[in-house]
Order: sequence, then structure tokens, then C-alpha cells
Amino acid sequence: MFETEIHDLSDDADYAAASQQGPSSKAGHGISNQSYSSEPENAEIVYLKDNVTIHPTQYATERISGRLKLVKQDSLLFMSWIPYKGQSSNARLSERDKNLYTIRAVPFADIRSIRRHTPTIGWQYVIVVLSSGLAYPPLYFYNGGVREFITTVKQHIVIVRSSEDANVFLVNNFQDPLQRTLSSLELPRTISIAKSASSSSFTNSPSDGNLERLDGGPRQKGSDAARDISIQVLEKFSLVTRFARETTSQLFRESLVDDYRANENKKSNRSSQDKPREIVSNDVRVTRSEVPVPSDPLEFDKLSLVWGKPRQPPLGPEEWATFLDSEGRIEDFTALKKRIFYGGVEHNLRKEIWAFLLGYYAHDSTYAERQHVMAVMKSEYETIKNQWQSISPEQAKRFTKFRERKGLIERDVVRTDRSLPFYEGDENPNVHLLRNILLTYSFYNFDLGYCQGMSDLLSPILFIMEDEPESFWCFVSLMERLGPNFNRDQNGMHSQLFALSKLVELLDSPLHNYFKQKDCLNYFFCFRWILIQFKREFEYDKTLRLWEVLWTHHPSEHLHLYVCIAILKRQRAKIMQEQMSFDTLLKFINELSGCIDLDAVLRDAEALCVCAGENGAASIPPGTPPSLPVEDECIYQQDDEAL
Amino acid sequence: MPSRRRTLLKVIILGDSGVGKTSLMNQYVNKKFSNQYKATIGADFLTKEVQFEDRLFTLQIWDTAGQERFQSLGVAFYRGADCCVLVYDVNVQKSFDSLNNWREEFLIQASPSDPENFPFVVLGNKVDVDGGNSRVVSEKKARAWCASKGNIPYFETSAKEGINVEEAFQVIAKNALTIGDEEEIYLPDTIDVGSNNSQQRASGCEC
Repeated sequence: MFETEIHDLSDDADYAAASQQGPSSKAGHGISNQSYSSEPENAEIVYLKDNVTIHPTQYATERISGRLKLVKQDSLLFMSWIPYKGQSSNARLSERDKNLYTIRAVPFADIRSIRRHTPTIGWQYVIVVLSSGLAYPPLYFYNGGVREFITTVKQHIVIVRSSEDANVFLVNNFQDPLQRTLSSLELPRTISIAKSASSSSFTNSPSDGNLERLDGGPRQKGSDAARDISIQVLEKFSLVTRFARETTSQLFRESLVDDYRANENKKSNRSSQDKPREIVSNDVRVTRSEVPVPSDPLEFDKLSLVWGKPRQPPLGPEEWATFLDSEGRIEDFTALKKRIFYGGVEHNLRKEIWAFLLGYYAHDSTYAERQHVMAVMKSEYETIKNQWQSISPEQAKRFTKFRERKGLIERDVVRTDRSLPFYEGDENPNVHLLRNILLTYSFYNFDLGYCQGMSDLLSPILFIMEDEPESFWCFVSLMERLGPNFNRDQNGMHSQLFALSKLVELLDSPLHNYFKQKDCLNYFFCFRWILIQFKREFEYDKTLRLWEVLWTHHPSEHLHLYVCIAILKRQRAKIMQEQMSFDTLLKFINELSGCIDLDAVLRDAEALCVCAGENGAASIPPGTPPSLPVEDECIYQQDDEAL
Repeated sequence: MPSRRRTLLKVIILGDSGVGKTSLMNQYVNKKFSNQYKATIGADFLTKEVQFEDRLFTLQIWDTAGQERFQSLGVAFYRGADCCVLVYDVNVQKSFDSLNNWREEFLIQASPSDPENFPFVVLGNKVDVDGGNSRVVSEKKARAWCASKGNIPYFETSAKEGINVEEAFQVIAKNALTIGDEEEIYLPDTIDVGSNNSQQRASGCEC
């Protein structure tokens, strides 16, 4: 019963179709197990593995074991995974669960990629991602056999290694002829391995008495219950991900598996993709003397596979023009922001587009309206600027607060991005503009005044806008959101650090527990990241890219917090392995500056944000910057205002 | 009591924004000066190995943001400090006036067990500027203030020219040692200094 069309998972209608398919296939229940009755006459089983298991809940004890098969029919290759009937390890798993997770003969034409994961300790697993972007839950090979599985697939269809990750095999990837060539170069070796592998897979029959579970528990009598139950499609992203998270987290927490080596492998893969990979033997179990690192419950590569949205080239002039109507209104601002989220903006468009992103120009304003606004705001800027410019030396003598502010600003602008050509050298006029704008701002928002870090936030804006009044108003717009970072009582910072700790607790509880144990839950080591939006962590042009992405507020206003988590997650193994304390952690984080892969971190942050979903949003108190402050008559409450 | 253990001494540098905290730290540890330092956001530290009477110590020198507004973060960074360095710019009156505030704020936030005897060192930095012509705080005035606060050791420094930096940090390390390590090393020969035992050591020793 190969009805390949129903495996197209690209929309919900298919899900319904798949559900309907259930009852008809259940008619086959009474049929004896050994006959492979579900396969049509002319189908050939080329690979069969028992005790391939998924973990549908966070408890390692709850599992659904089944049989994984590769079946060839009419030169097409299909994969199926059918749970054993009636022997769940836990009563909480219903037949419905089993039905839900059943993979019934999905054709490889519908598969985009397979990621294999072969940790040194613990079960090997693969994650199969469909062309639609959906991923099946990890299939754990309790008896090993991931290598056989991959090599068997390789024997029958063209798969190529991803250039980004040697553990990812792309199916149906004919776009890159070079990759195909490279892949074919491996063929002789592959075939010899595959031959022995596939032959052994046939001898490993379901009745083989040597099957044992790795955890040493009683052997499951899986062999007498294999049957097709229904064709089911997996759920939406969030479910799949939550599933992956809970599962992996709990599994690894219980077995204290050390995933560190696997992570290290991943890292080295990125840098040396062309080196032949050593395939870790199925049954090697290495005891490590070092500190065990609890595994990342979210396992990044899974996520990036599930969402896999690659960064795009920046928005260029032609595409930008398509967003504007004849009078200069942005027709679909949401679509524009989404586009910018995925690729940023070409440098020479930034001056124009940043004004919209920051909210200085209304997105539905016309060219003419913007001309008008510019003129009005220019004169308004001059008015405010004149307030401090008109202070005479005699008046300044009696105006301590002004003198102090001016002094602070003047000390800071001369040490803001001075290595950048735009700001370098003695008597640089742009440094003078920084000073003027910051002083004017400290009068425009006298309550908040000037605080260190503001010059870091202004510098890129002036660099892009190049115009004093426009830079000022764009900075004002930015400070509408980030101003609370600089509040005297630090409440803006505290609410963000608090939200960050809640989000880490949600998304990586082992890491949260580690920070708790090390008395690091104040997250002060992320203070600089948040205060100035990672300005000191990236090269200048990367900061520009990051900021325009953050300002789209897609998929969350608080994406910057997920960026924090993405960076922390990339370092989690090292942090825990080296048992970093508050001091060493702070230093380590400070020294990451200049060594962070922005695109990768943004991809991870998006995945984390989607993954956290509503729970994530609920972890962030209302009004947490950069959300607009909860409406209040006086935005920056001062002590003496109580009078 | 023979001890070859390496011990951590934690030193905090405080003072107004722009007085040269980061520069002093870098001059001492890396023997370098740069005009390109940025305003410190949050906190950072450098470490340096120092030797005293046959023993090796790791001096952990903390550099913090100078703006008053960030003082509330100090509680996380100050704890376990063995010595506090107060820095002012001899060319900026305000930075000298702030010393008292920095000292008091430190004592509140770090809450050392014996605040009366907690070691401070005061540095009057930037003595090189304009050949001393722009100087507004006299050495005499500075020394008078130090004397009034329990004879705080005082140095006039230039992080840029490397003047007195090494000498100052020698004293800083030595004074850190007096409270940081005294009980640990000399306690067996001493009677009843138990009150010092509660001195908090955030990082302990690295054995």
C-alpha cells in the first residue's frame, strides 16, 4: 500500500488525509507478523533494524520501539518505521501515540536530509527531515546500525554530504554538481562497506535472540508484533521541537551522557569539511574522566534542520523599490521587516531604511510627507540644541549638572570607535557631532541625561545617517525603547537579565542549574551584551547587520535575549566542562568579543524563539526593554518628582 | 609554615569615569598604553603572577565602569576583594572629590569583615598631562585626605608613561596579602585573630 501522494506533508490537508488513512490500515492487525504483509509483492527489503526507538516524552522510560525498514520498489526507495504493538514500556503511552509517530513508507523523494548523530556514549540516532521542512523525531538505534543505514541509503539513491555539516546527508540534492562529484569519489569505499553492512542487516532478523537493550532492561519482545498501524504525519514544528527538547533533555539527564565529544566533533567538522570523517564505531563506549556535561536539551543541529532558514543576501535597491508604492509608502511593512530579518539591508540603503525601522518615519508616509517631517524635525533639533549652546561660561559655573554631563560626554566620545576611519584622528568633526547629539539628547531627555553606553548606541546611527538632526531623532527613537537600560535604578537591565534567566531555565535547564549552582543567576556576565545590544561583541559592520535585524522585532521584540541564549548554548559545553565560576565566566564571555558567528547565532536565536513560543513570551515581564515602556505620565521617574 | 601554594588576591579598581582605571591595569599587567581604550561597560579583570618572599600569588585586578549609575552592580564584583584601589585624575577636581563616595560605597557593597582596617591605595593618575600645568589637585591635598582615612598609601602615577605604576601595584599586592592571606599563612603562630576568619573569599585559592 504505497500511496506516496499522502506523504506530501506540506500542508494541513494532508494531515487530515493521513489521519483518515488510519482505520483502513488497521484492518491488517490480525495478520501474522513475520510475513512483512505490508509490503507489496515486488518490494524488496534492503535494510531492516529492530529496536529503533523514539522517546515521545521527556522520560527516558517512556519509549516506543519499532522496526525501521528500507524498502525498494520499482527503483524507488522508501523508509518506514512501525512501532511494535502492545508492549509500551509505559502505560502512559497510548496506542494513539504510537499511531501518531508511525512512519509508514515515506518515499525518499520526499526526504530532504538525514542527520546522523553518533555520540561516543549513548544511543546513536538519526533525524529525518522532509522536503516540507518537517522533521520526524529522532530515531534511536538501540542496537547501533546508523552507519549501515546511511550506507544502505547511499547504495540506492544519490545522497551527498552537506558542505556545512559532515553529519548531514542531503537527499535529492542535484543543485551542486561539485558535491555530487565529490560524493561519487567516495563510492568505491562506500560500496564495500555497504555490501557487508547490508548483508549483515539481512541476517539480523527480527527473531534474532541477541537483541538487547542498551540500558540493560528486559529484552523487548518486539519481533512478534511488527505491523502497520496507520500512516501518520508528524505534528507542527513546535510540537516536534518540544518533543525533541523534552526527550533529549530528560534522556541525557537520566543517563548523564557526555555529549561533549560530539559537540567537539561538530565544531571540527565545520572547519574541516573536506577531511574524511572517522565514523565512530557503533558499540564503543568510552568512559571519560572529565566532568560530565549534561547534554543540551535542544541540540542545535536538529533545530537548524527543522527550521533551516538560511540567511539571505541583504535587501538590495531593486527589491526595496518593490516594497514602495508610487508615492513612497511602504505597502507591506510586516513583509519588509520579515525580509530584513532574514538578510539585513545593503549598506547604501541603510540611511533610508533605518529611519523606518527605528520609527522615525512612519512606514505609511509619502515622500512628500517625509520631506516635511524632516524640515520640521530639523528646526526642532536646532531649538533643543540651542538650549545648551546658549549657556554662557558664567552660567555654566553655576550649573554643576550641566558641567558634569558635558564632561562625561566629552570623555566618552573621544573613546568611541576611534579606530574606525569615520571617527579616527584628532579633531575629527564626527566626534564633535557625537558630542553635540548626546548633549542635545541629555537636554531633550533631561531626566535620563547621559549614561555610558549611549555613545556606543549613537555611533552606528551617525555613521549611517551622516546628518546631525536625523541622527538625533533616530537616536531618540532608539532610546524610546532602550532608554530604560540606563535608568538610575537599573530596572530596565534587571528586567532583561531576569527574563534571560527565565528563558534559559525554559530552554536549557541543565545550563540554568549550572549557573544556579555557581551563583551566577544574576547574569551579570551578559550585562554588556544587553546594555549596548552586542555593540562590543561584533565587528562594526556585523553590529549594523545585527541591529537592523533586531529592529524588525521579528519574530519577537526580545530576540536579543534569544541571541544571548544562542551564544551561551554554543559555549555551554566549554562553560560546564571547565567548571567556570562567576569570575572566569565573566572573563570568558568578555573575551568572546570578535569571535561570534553572527549568522549562525541569528539562526539559532530564531529557532530558540520559535521553540520557546508562548512560554518564552510569558517569561518576559511586560515593558521589558526594548518593548515600549508601559504608559506612564513621567517616563523616567525621579526621586524628587514625588513632591 | 612553608607554603608553595598559589593564592588568589582580588583587587578592585574604582574611580570616576575617565580617570584611567583601564589604562593603569593594562600598564601594570601588559606594560602597554593605548589611546584607543573604550569606556568600560560592566566589568572585566586581568590577572598577573606576583612573587613575595618565595611565594607565588595570582593578582586578579578588576576594572569596573566608572559611572555612578552602575555602582549598584558593584555588589556582584566587589565581594571577596582583598584590596581596593581608588583612582582620581589630578587634573579633574571632581574625580578627587568623588574618592570619599567611592570608598564608602565600596565598604557598603563589599562589606568586608573589618572595614576599619580594609586596605585601600589611592592613585593620583595622569600626572604627565600638559607637563603638570593643568593639574588642579595638589599632592599635599591628596596626601592629607589619605592620612585622614587611616593613612592610605598614596602614589602619583602616569599610566601613559608608566610612572610609579609598578611601585604602586607592589604595595597594592602587599596590602592585599595582609588581609587576604594573613590568617591562612601565619595563623598557626598567632593567637586569637579568629575574627579575621570570616573574611569572604569569593574565589578561594587555586590549588
